[in-house]
Amino acid sequence: MNSSSTDAARRQKFDRLVVVFHSDMYRYAAWLCRDKAIAEDVVQEALLRAWKSLDALRDEAAAKHWLLTIVRRENARYFERRRLETVDIDNLTASQSALLAEAPDEELNELREAIYELEDDYREPLVLQVMMGYSTREIAEMMGLKQGAVLTRLHRARLRLKDNVAQVEQE
Amino acid sequence: MSTSNETMNCEQYRQAVGADPSLEDGADHLSDCAVCRKFRDELRVLNTNIARALQVSVPPLNLPELPGIATQDNVVSLDSRRSLTRPAWFALAASVMVAAVLGVQMLTVDVDNVSLANEVLAHLDHEPAALVVSSTPVTSRTLDRVVPANVARMDHSAGLITYARSCVINGKTVPHLVIQGERGPVTILLMPDEEIATAQTLDGDNTHGVILPVGEGSIAIIGAREEPLERIEKSVLSSVAWST
Repeated sequence: MNSSSTDAARRQKFDRLVVVFHSDMYRYAAWLCRDKAIAEDVVQEALLRAWKSLDALRDEAAAKHWLLTIVRRENARYFERRRLETVDIDNLTASQSALLAEAPDEELNELREAIYELEDDYREPLVLQVMMGYSTREIAEMMGLKQGAVLTRLHRARLRLKDNVAQVEQE
Repeated sequence: MSTSNETMNCEQYRQAVGADPSLEDGADHLSDCAVCRKFRDELRVLNTNIARALQVSVPPLNLPELPGIATQDNVVSLDSRRSLTRPAWFALAASVMVAAVLGVQMLTVDVDNVSLANEVLAHLDHEPAALVVSSTPVTSRTLDRVVPANVARMDHSAGLITYARSCVINGKTVPHLVIQGERGPVTILLMPDEEIATAQTLDGDNTHGVILPVGEGSIAIIGAREEPLERIEKSVLSSVAWST
């Protein structure tokens, strides 16, 4: 295979992955950093890194896990560089509040705010389980935790959200 | 957190279903406990709503500018380039050529060093699953398979080895190990065929490390930026010996 056909095959492989997994990468990034503009930056960096490392992906069945792990790292790098601190939900930037502004109805808006306010340690496994469909074992592997810790975090996250929903219903 | 049908009580069931509302275990408990049934049903509704709430709109795909990637097909090896530019009148200009050869050698060493450092850092991104905090050591059998006796001898004094796999660096299969440092996982690459003249520091985005010359090979040690590596370097160096 000559150089140009190798490059073309590589590019095709990359494009195929990006088309399939771009949405997952973006949504994961958005809920990790809670800011739509930063999420776009993180995904851009992650795509660049994925492109450079593409030859390391030998099993395309593992592509989603591979790409999301890159997103996770890029998000950590971003915040390491910027040293951004905690978010005050009453004082959000435009791109932070954009994440909350698009809930389809009032009930979901309250729930989305509650998810937004969860600590990273609780929000991330919930996103990985509910949105990305990972098992608790896989989440433990991605987050570098024991499975028991993931189960506890998921349980606590849901209890908080459940309490929040009950509180809103009472009001 | 037990999910066994026989032993599950209300608290255990609620913890389990709280972690995963799709849980099917605990049917015996549920048949006798209306309160937990209600709890499970509420959580399932909540879970559906969480899934809906998480669905944020995705902006159009905007690919970054992708740099060209050097592949074996489009890169001329250093050896080939050297032979292409070797002058024919070498014997007539010995003194000039000695200087030139020395210069080329120095340049080659630098290129090789940069290339090795880049390979090592890039490899960390290739195997993100290796970098997990863990207290579970790899088995001696796995370690022996990854670090075969004819390549190196390694005892367990380097630290808690939680990951061991054969990987390819610079086209050579090398043992890739992870030990648990003070601040997280530390990657160790045993490269018996990568000879370097002096130690090279590695500086990743949020990692740091070193490639140490060891006999006719080298060992790369990389950890999180805040990881103190000196003690690990010493224990790794004292625990590894090349077999060849």
